[in-house]
Amino acid sequence: MIIDVNAYLGHFAFRRLRHNTAPSLLALMDSKRIDKAVVSSASAITYRNAQAGNEEVAEEVRGHSDRLIPFTVINPFYAGWQDDLKICHEEFGMVGLRLYPKWHNYQLASPCCRELVNAATERGMVISIPIRVEDNRQRSWLLNVPDVPLEEIVDLVKAHPKARFILLNGIGYTGCPLGRKDNGLPSNYAIELSRLSAVLANEIGRLITNLGAERVMFGTGMPFNYPDPALVKLEVLDASEADKGKICSQNAMTWLRL
Amino acid sequence: MTILQTTLSSPQLRTRMSRRTLLKGSAGVALGAMVLPSARGAAIGQSAPGVSTGPQPKGKVIDCHAHLTHHSRATWEADDRKLIEAADKLGIDQLCCSTLTPRWPATADGFRECNRWTADGMRRFPDRVLGYCYVNPGYSREALDEVRRYVGDRGFIGIKLYNEYTCTEPVVFPIVELAIELGVPILHHASHCHYFVEDQPRMSDGGHLAELARRYPEAMLICAHISGGGDWEWTIKALRHAPNVLLDTSGSATDEGTVEMAAAVVGVDRLVFGCDSSMTAGMGKIRGAELSAQDKEKILGGNMMRLLRRRKA
Repeated sequence: MIIDVNAYLGHFAFRRLRHNTAPSLLALMDSKRIDKAVVSSASAITYRNAQAGNEEVAEEVRGHSDRLIPFTVINPFYAGWQDDLKICHEEFGMVGLRLYPKWHNYQLASPCCRELVNAATERGMVISIPIRVEDNRQRSWLLNVPDVPLEEIVDLVKAHPKARFILLNGIGYTGCPLGRKDNGLPSNYAIELSRLSAVLANEIGRLITNLGAERVMFGTGMPFNYPDPALVKLEVLDASEADKGKICSQNAMTWLRL
Repeated sequence: MTILQTTLSSPQLRTRMSRRTLLKGSAGVALGAMVLPSARGAAIGQSAPGVSTGPQPKGKVIDCHAHLTHHSRATWEADDRKLIEAADKLGIDQLCCSTLTPRWPATADGFRECNRWTADGMRRFPDRVLGYCYVNPGYSREALDEVRRYVGDRGFIGIKLYNEYTCTEPVVFPIVELAIELGVPILHHASHCHYFVEDQPRMSDGGHLAELARRYPEAMLICAHISGGGDWEWTIKALRHAPNVLLDTSGSATDEGTVEMAAAVVGVDRLVFGCDSSMTAGMGKIRGAELSAQDKEKILGGNMMRLLRRRKA
């Protein structure tokens, strides 16, 4: 089984996405033999009211809950986020959330964000943080949204040892405490592999060595990205079948309680 | 299927993936065989986006944009070996390599040293590494001598130009004219960002390359890394009417639809596969593209081979 913890539905403000409806994403997943995917709203990245994007995703995934696992996008500085979180969790069945601190212009260390992380954790929700949405070099002339610095993630995971984080679309973890062995950090975060190398520097292999295969998860970033590069990484990764099994699906199943 | 199952259970074979395996988009099959108690049944068999239902790509696979490691890096030898091992795993037959100086602009001594090392790489990895001669056009005489020495006499397959000058600056023209004389391509670093790239003030983009191509319609130009060069949609559109510019698909970005748009706008005959060290991104993009096996064959190696055959004696 393959579970993709890094997928999206809806539109992105700066580029046309294909395969961004539930039927078309499922068709793409079928063609790549990806069984399940965690999806959130791509539109909510730039909507002022992210909840409108969450509602769109809730509608899209209806009838596909066996394959598409919806996450909510919450901006903790936007009015009514507590209500949105409650609705998304209790009514829409969203078992996790995605945070966009740079796109939504807040600090991970801010009290509002800390309050959101605590509230989500109390609900048993997984919190995923895309380190980036797209390559910054191709950004629109309208904006300049930096990647989330990994140092800010270090502080976050330390401050919330009971929370569970999945870090998406990141790279360079082995160059900071997050990817180092015996780093003194709680083991409350997992790292998704879509941008990590499986050859040459082989960051995936180094993370398996340093943190254990239990802390690495498969993800593609589809439909922003082709799913194939992530699948190729799995194919060429020099790891045991047991470790690949954990990365492909077992870790996600444990974290998402599937 | 047998090959895939064997590959994943055999350490020897795991290090040398079958090219056919990688190109036919079979990761799901492979991993399914490994960990799936039951495949997804009928849904898997459906024709769907990304599925190559016809024949799989054949022929030589050539990475048009690769680099050997500068020898100032202590691990250069191991790094070069890792590059070849990665190519082995990904089914890449040949890599068109340059060695770049760690700092720019390159001095004449700097690029000479790099080209010696590229030649050394060709000796260390015969028939795997093909050489680009890297020069800084600002050193006019030295650069032309270097191209004559390495392309003319020592079998390098083309010229690599970086960001020392924008490709439309007159100082670049003698290099282009020599490339035409020798019948070899120029791989030109390029990027189009919607902001000023401070550390590369003379960066070329697709528009510059199109302008150069109009000036020299006999030149064979390759616009480097459309997937690592800023706004790829802009680049593809800028090159639509420049038939003697090929687009190198390399770069770390893996945006879905890139290869298909490039194929639709400029045609598959003008696309050449590359990685620029982003190995799985490079191969994954081609594998994921919704194109026929024949089109992928052209991109993966056929177009580059066609280009290399135009070399003059």
